[in-house]
Amino acid sequence: MALLELDELTRRFGGLVAVDHVTMRVAEGEVRAIIGPNGAGKSTLFNLITGVLKPTQGRVRFAGETVTGLSVPRICQRGIARTFQLTALFPEMSARENARLAAQAREARRWHFYGGAATLAEAGRRADRALEQLGLGRVADRPAGLLSHGDQRLLEVAMALAQEPRLLLLDEPTQGLSVEETAQAVETLAGLLADGQMTVLLVEHDMEVVFRLAHQITVLHRGAVIADGPPQAIKDDAEVQSAYLGGFA
Amino acid sequence: MAVVLALAPLALPLYTMTLLTEALILGLLAMSLDLMVGYARLISFGHAAAYGFGAYVSGWLLLHTSLPMVVAIPIAALLAGTIAIGVAWVCTQATGVSFSMLTLAFAQLLYAVAYKWTSLTGGSDGLAGIPRRPGPFGLHLFVTRNGFYYLVVIALLGAFVFCRALVRSPFGAVLRGIRENEPKTTALGYNTRAYKIAVVALSYALGALAGALYAPFAGFANTELLFWLLSGQALIMVIIGGAGTLVGPILGAVFFLTVAHQLSNYTEAWALFFGLIFIAFVIFAPEGIWGLVTARLARHAPGARPGAEYDDGAPGTR
Amino acid sequence: MSFVAFFVTQSANALSQTALLFFLGVGLTLIFGIMRIVNFAHGTFYMLGAFIGYSVARLTGSFWIALLVAPLAVGAVGALFELGILRRLYRRDASAFLMVTFGLALVLGELIRLAWGPEALRVEPPSAFAGIVFLMGEPFPTYRLFLAGAGIVVALALWQFLDRTRLGLLIRATSQNAEMVHALGTDVDLVRSAVFGIGCGLAGVGGVLAAPLVTASIGMAAQMIIDAFVIVIIGGMGSFPGSLIAAVVVAFVQVFGEYYLPDLALAFMYLVMLLVLVVRPGGLLGKEA
Repeated sequence: MALLELDELTRRFGGLVAVDHVTMRVAEGEVRAIIGPNGAGKSTLFNLITGVLKPTQGRVRFAGETVTGLSVPRICQRGIARTFQLTALFPEMSARENARLAAQAREARRWHFYGGAATLAEAGRRADRALEQLGLGRVADRPAGLLSHGDQRLLEVAMALAQEPRLLLLDEPTQGLSVEETAQAVETLAGLLADGQMTVLLVEHDMEVVFRLAHQITVLHRGAVIADGPPQAIKDDAEVQSAYLGGFA
Repeated sequence: MAVVLALAPLALPLYTMTLLTEALILGLLAMSLDLMVGYARLISFGHAAAYGFGAYVSGWLLLHTSLPMVVAIPIAALLAGTIAIGVAWVCTQATGVSFSMLTLAFAQLLYAVAYKWTSLTGGSDGLAGIPRRPGPFGLHLFVTRNGFYYLVVIALLGAFVFCRALVRSPFGAVLRGIRENEPKTTALGYNTRAYKIAVVALSYALGALAGALYAPFAGFANTELLFWLLSGQALIMVIIGGAGTLVGPILGAVFFLTVAHQLSNYTEAWALFFGLIFIAFVIFAPEGIWGLVTARLARHAPGARPGAEYDDGAPGTR
Repeated sequence: MSFVAFFVTQSANALSQTALLFFLGVGLTLIFGIMRIVNFAHGTFYMLGAFIGYSVARLTGSFWIALLVAPLAVGAVGALFELGILRRLYRRDASAFLMVTFGLALVLGELIRLAWGPEALRVEPPSAFAGIVFLMGEPFPTYRLFLAGAGIVVALALWQFLDRTRLGLLIRATSQNAEMVHALGTDVDLVRSAVFGIGCGLAGVGGVLAAPLVTASIGMAAQMIIDAFVIVIIGGMGSFPGSLIAAVVVAFVQVFGEYYLPDLALAFMYLVMLLVLVVRPGGLLGKEA
């Protein structure tokens, strides 16, 4: 049974079909890249999975249970964590505090206002671990708003990891990064994903990143899946090439 | 600071004591508003609703039942907090400006109700002759002027300790997240609406506690306590004192009351003066008096320059 | 009084009320549409119009001169405030605007109180409209008919202004895409000042026109800002036709509500506001808040 199942997932905005009957199965431990020209519906797809948008049709199943229509917090609590294309952080809190707030969401007593020290400590431990994994230990006490762009993107990933999710959604994690920063980020991510424990959905424009990390690639064009398969097959696919180069960017 | 407050009655003249008591009551009101405004950035223009409600309830209880003061006051606060959950639920349906206008609308509504329901509230004259009933078990301690002062000090300190624990707790961390980036906080899995409702309800409950103390303090409760000008004054105290600090608003209240008192001896225009100061603070010193003080202290600590430790050449992207 | 006569007179009443509410609400709508801020002091500008109108009328003996001068004065005050104070806040968050305009409401209110005293002031309606007409056999103040007419005239004039003049076009464009307008070489700051001034001026017109009906008083401000905000909400935050429709709705609710359920009219209006905010946060016709 796949960890994430999308069935005929569709989203219309008036006359525009942003996501068109997308059907997908993502197995546990798989790293699935979603690629496609601009406007292909990749971010909308993420929004549908995480509950930011409700589908016009179709459904989303996670770990065997239907999650379509649930609120954003509830879906997140089921074990799905996400990063955003436009960096979304808490600028005046330190990197550590950012990650700790993310980790805290997983604590059972997160809303209590007494006996909170233990909760904060435990969340802090998870936060520190996530920061270390992303190489952010050295800037842990710096306000997030003062981090370099590259570190901010990594912090977003760290926050998602701090939630120890079953499914990780990365929305263009290397966007805006320089060549060196990208290479560094990719190596860090490759290291994280090496043990095959993490299930990841990765939206990316940078093909080198995709080919380095992905086990399987799904190609979207105008909201619909036009190809689905291992990296080499996608590279050779004529339809994919025409979609990218055929003037529909 | 607690020590200073405790020793005050020994040193200060009667008149000043009365002023100080009222200042501390308003300080409690301002601090309660700070919970919402400073920590969750939920601007309320209707906090007088909490104050007035607390005053009317405790006043009514003291007038029409035989409950002792120290029982009536908490009852008023609890009742307010409970009702405030419903009010908060309604107001948090909206965000930003709409939220603020809803709080104002609710306060105006309460004002109109109090004005018209003369049989219960005494109309614009309000309730008068509110006693400070001693008890239970013959506890006369708080009935005298100085005794009541200590009651207020205890209430304020208790509320302060509670609020400080709250903002330093996991709950407080979530509030901070809501303040800095609410959509992200939701995306992390928090039901931010529930947190907002909780903080608003607590804020109103503590504001009502202040009002509940005011009624036996002054001996009366009237519609002035529900009027939007009072909401405005509370907001001014928070901003001038320093939002998001808990201590700042208390100082703001003391500052406000003492200056207002002094000024009103010389000129009719003291409210105008405060309005101008308020605007100046919003523009030039949004961190308020306490914010300025703590920043200056931090600057003079050995080796400290804000952000200095981050100058390692890495490009910042603010 | 027959029901029809009652209905007609009350409707005429409501129409005159619509005009007043329209003057109040359209200014706030314009300001919000352009600047995305709610001018908390809007009710106070309305009041200022009434008081300046009173003084000018007393000075010159002419209501019409007051009607001309007062809105200009109020508009000037508004524009000055925008220039001097609001401009500094454009890079701050929305709560700063809210609080500054709140402070302005307090300051202006106090200035009014100091200048004109706490007593309510009476303004005489112009002699041309001081009498009574008979609607379906019932007496009805001519002045209210004048008001309804004035409302229609101004609404039409505003519509034409926004639709056909260059400034009107700039205003509409800026409310949709300020950056583009700026890139095309227009001084957006100037447009903003103009809009704030015009918005306040419109409130001033409402104040002057309202003065003969409702004695000008200090306590009006809080209620007025809520009324204005309700109109902006119901009509759509930034929609000009919306504010007109909303003014009609609110006026009728107020007038008929006051008659049938006098104590509940207030609560009912808040309920309506609530409902609209819940169902459509952007108002009935407007953009998202």
